[in-house]
Amino acid sequence: MAQRFLILEDGSAYPGIGFGAGATTTGEIVFNTSMLGYQEIITNQIYHNQLIVFSQPIVGSIGIAHDGYESILPTTKGVVVRDVTAISKNRQRSLSLDKFLKQHNIPGISGIDTRHLIRKLQQTGTIKGSIVDVADDHAFDQLHATVLTNQQVAQVATPRPYPNPNQGYNVVVIDFGLKHGILRQLSKRDCNVTVLPWQATAQDIINLDPDGVILSTGPGSPLDLPQSVLEMIQTIQQRMPLFAIGLGHELFALANGSEVSPLKLAHHGANHPIRKIITNEIIYAMEGQEFVVNPDSVNRDRLITTYVDLIDGSIQGLRHRDYPAFSVQFFPDGAPGPNDSVDLFDEFMEIMGTRE
Amino acid sequence: MDNTIQKILIIGGGPTEVGHETELDAACLQVIQAFKKLGIRPLLIDNNPFSAALESVQPTNMFIQAITVENVQRIIEREQPDAILPTVGGVLAISVIQELQENGVLADNGVQTLGIPSDALMDINNPDRLNRILSEAGAPVIATETVGTLDEAVNVAAQIGYPVIVKPIAPRIDTNRILCDNEAELISAVTRGFAWSRFKQCVIEQSIVGYKEVELVSIRDVMGTQVLVAGLENIDPIGIHSGDSMVVTPTLTLSNAEYQELRDAAFAINNQFNFTGVVHTHFALHASQDRFYVTKVTPYNDRGTSLAAVATGYPIAYVAANLYLNQKITDVRLPEIYHFKQTALLEPSLDHVVVRIPIWPFEDIPNADQHLGTVMKSVGSTIGVGRSMEEAILKALRSSQFSPQDELPSMSDLSDTQIISQLIHPLSSRILVLIEALRRGYQVDELNELTKIDPFYFVKLNHILTIEEQIRQQPMDVTALQQGRYYGFGDGMIARIWHTDIDTVRALGQSNHILPTYKGIEPSAGELLHSPTSYYSTFEFENESEQISDQSVLVLGRGGNQLGPNASADYFTTEMLKQLRKSGYKTIIMNTNPNAGSLSATASDKQIIDPVQLGDIMNVIEIEHPVKIFVPGNRHYLTRELRNRHYPVSVLPPDQEKRTHLETNHAEIGLDLFVTPGHIVPILVSDLQSDQGLATTLDQITLMRAPASIDETQLNRLLAHAKEYLAEHKRTGMVQLLYTNDTTNQLQFAGIRPTRLTTIAYLNKVTGINWVRMLVRQALGEIREDLIATLPVDIHSTRRSQVRGTFPFKQLQLPDQLGLTTQEVGARISFESLPELIDEPDNK
Repeated sequence: MAQRFLILEDGSAYPGIGFGAGATTTGEIVFNTSMLGYQEIITNQIYHNQLIVFSQPIVGSIGIAHDGYESILPTTKGVVVRDVTAISKNRQRSLSLDKFLKQHNIPGISGIDTRHLIRKLQQTGTIKGSIVDVADDHAFDQLHATVLTNQQVAQVATPRPYPNPNQGYNVVVIDFGLKHGILRQLSKRDCNVTVLPWQATAQDIINLDPDGVILSTGPGSPLDLPQSVLEMIQTIQQRMPLFAIGLGHELFALANGSEVSPLKLAHHGANHPIRKIITNEIIYAMEGQEFVVNPDSVNRDRLITTYVDLIDGSIQGLRHRDYPAFSVQFFPDGAPGPNDSVDLFDEFMEIMGTRE
Repeated sequence: MDNTIQKILIIGGGPTEVGHETELDAACLQVIQAFKKLGIRPLLIDNNPFSAALESVQPTNMFIQAITVENVQRIIEREQPDAILPTVGGVLAISVIQELQENGVLADNGVQTLGIPSDALMDINNPDRLNRILSEAGAPVIATETVGTLDEAVNVAAQIGYPVIVKPIAPRIDTNRILCDNEAELISAVTRGFAWSRFKQCVIEQSIVGYKEVELVSIRDVMGTQVLVAGLENIDPIGIHSGDSMVVTPTLTLSNAEYQELRDAAFAINNQFNFTGVVHTHFALHASQDRFYVTKVTPYNDRGTSLAAVATGYPIAYVAANLYLNQKITDVRLPEIYHFKQTALLEPSLDHVVVRIPIWPFEDIPNADQHLGTVMKSVGSTIGVGRSMEEAILKALRSSQFSPQDELPSMSDLSDTQIISQLIHPLSSRILVLIEALRRGYQVDELNELTKIDPFYFVKLNHILTIEEQIRQQPMDVTALQQGRYYGFGDGMIARIWHTDIDTVRALGQSNHILPTYKGIEPSAGELLHSPTSYYSTFEFENESEQISDQSVLVLGRGGNQLGPNASADYFTTEMLKQLRKSGYKTIIMNTNPNAGSLSATASDKQIIDPVQLGDIMNVIEIEHPVKIFVPGNRHYLTRELRNRHYPVSVLPPDQEKRTHLETNHAEIGLDLFVTPGHIVPILVSDLQSDQGLATTLDQITLMRAPASIDETQLNRLLAHAKEYLAEHKRTGMVQLLYTNDTTNQLQFAGIRPTRLTTIAYLNKVTGINWVRMLVRQALGEIREDLIATLPVDIHSTRRSQVRGTFPFKQLQLPDQLGLTTQEVGARISFESLPELIDEPDNK
């Protein structure tokens, strides 16, 4: 294993040991404070264009598991850790995290003072970084010159519809960079799922005559997606039950006249208490967000705030006053993270059931 | 919050024994702090002379009595508390409160139990009832059957098929489970189990030996809000008591799905029972079959909750105390040291690894069976904190050894047959044998097969060996030193591998900027910026620990609990810290015992959780530049080495170096004194005895009783002799003069020794003067001679009191034997404040 470097936009360079692919990549640096589920995190498409810094000190300790995929083709730009362990637990004993990352051309770097990085990011806000072989001027020039795409959704979402047949409710899932946890939860509830590409129009959806629609999670900024997506949401929410998660939640808010703005620093972790306003219950859920709904912009005639993060005060859930439509910023499917809010899927089933 | 509760009776932990040490008292202290802040009057019953919690309540609220149903009942009837707290007193408290519930005392006196609802109290240590409730909560449990006779037991076991597990119902002690491979073992286990059970009943269940043991520590409030504080993973599988297993937090070999399933189960159980406060839930996981069982539910403070608190920086006992009073967790206000809002609500996220390794009593009790099994044998534990598994495990190992020179014992003498045998039937040297097996080339899969330990841990141990080899191959190599330190090797270890001295190693590190970086132990994994009080070292990029003050003192904790004087060391250390702070110093403690009260965040200004070894101490000194370094008790090697390097070291009590001067090796009368340059303060004269009567050697003296059986004339003669002796032989601090009582009833001088730590704790309780604080003030030069003269000590007092050491023989399944001072696991104290001197009944 060779020495490689993590370099940051602010000119700092951290030596570490390369693992995974030997590629040189650039992306935004985000950190995740979850203590579990490195595989789920790495395969989550929300990390497209990003380098993930893990606060969990050791990754790789349980290998790669068949039920730990949140996407089959992960597109994160890199994995930054303190320590990586080569363990394989699949039947062939042949798929370690290192090997998995090699297969997907994702570089990793270990031996990094990740706690320092996380503390530093509090000061700098989200910045770009690269995993490189040599931390010379050329590498920094490349880093500064790299313009990250804002077409993340188009790059990770399915280009074509596909079904996940079952006997229950007909659910259309709009894929903005779908994490499989959503499909798993629908599958557990016997839903007959059709996944549609993110550009699907309201008419495409209506043609399938679903019982309900889910707007999926996904990477990047909701502000970079075309107006047509918001129009689709505006039409669909009037016609059928709608449940929006993550990026879907941000789009749902935009479609209903709220503003969404970037956080100074992305938040990824599963340990913030979240208050469910209607019951005053406190739950925990995986949050992974770079954007947040601006509370002052929420049109109270149309939307009700349903969940709020008690640490940073961010809006974590919305519900439409007139339509059977609701959304959450966090990931109720866990994977990784607590199952405290998994009943939102049951609620969605109920709403579909009460529909005339 | 519940305002009807004004007065709460707390059941203390009682004397330290195998099964619990200082963690109960540490939790108790935090609970008392929280209660006081809420304006509640805490009453405390405990007969542990080493209780720091006892020092924190008013004398009128303090009941130094054995924790028995009768004593607690008497206090309830007289004091009429509004509530009783069963959650800081271990199993004994649960058992006593159960009985008081059964006999109607609680109901008759309108006393409610806090934390554990009455129904739940009857269920949690009755495996049969527990299983029923767990099933109702949807949690998977192992099928069990209750038996009341040997015949029944034999039949049930034959039906289930061996191996089976035997668990006593409502035991008086922390017994856990007994594994039986055949009928003979079953009969022995059930017989013992019946004796331990209050109902003379046992439960027989199918064995799940070899499953992975995982524990979750959670918090729940009256609204049903729950916080998962930590997951603890036992490295050793089920079959070895979790108190004797190496434990890791956070869990490292569980998938998200597995972990969340356990979390859901723990929360469901807490809801089903309606617990408030802290709950420690134990699970058994099948390694590959996606199956788990709930094995134990302990809704009270124990070694698991204290490990979780120290590892995460989450103040569990303090938060729980608020929740017992039906306060909502969102309303809990924490002490100021917790800088950010909502600390109580943040589910701790760790960016470090903590490994706990047990400490054994076998060095002092060599005739005990050292095999590990389902009955706990360790008397203490020590933790290592690091940024990698290697670092955490090496630090824990370094702290768990008795060698002061920071070296690990070699297992190279074992034959291959012995290695195999010990892999299958582990001894207390478990971890060292695992390492030795790897050294000899055993494969990870093979070892996993033999030991049922997850392969991950062998991969990590193997890596330690690789690093060690790298160090060996490259003497005085900078990279080797960097790697060694990065992965947790101590300077002492590296010096030994290189056949050089520690200063050479340190100089190499210094000149190449391989310097320690301290990292905060806090529950946000660096996400929420603030300065925690607790730190550990590693060798990375950023150091977070700055010099706390130019008027700081460093106190070297005693590390893990061991037999002998160490039992009282944590009490001594805690009291020292209090006085040092009162005297205006910023206090820094180094310690590795997760159960230590002296490590709690409020006891000192900064806590460093690193091995208390020379290299690590010097690392701290180089940042903090303390004006003084205090060593409670004595650690000769460390003290000498630190002094050689001209550090300002004070040993307390002082004059340990002068050691003992003896005319003869036995004594019957002890005279304890506090000595200053201008005064000699006689504190107590007492009879010295062994646990079984007359002590023929000094190390048999484990019982002190006052007043001594001498008359006034003899006492005056002793005092005169003491004065004369000390005029000639200069001493400072606290000393005990020893006398023998010969056949003609003539007292003969037998010698002089520094007062033992255990004795000082007793003297504090007898005189109401805190002698530890006096010693600290003396060492700081704060004592005014004129005030010494006015100390209200009455050497002629006729108040009857007694302290006697307790021994772990029964728990180690040894026949009763004459206990030595080096074998004391704890002590109990009693006073004649009641009609007669009530001693604790022996119910082990």
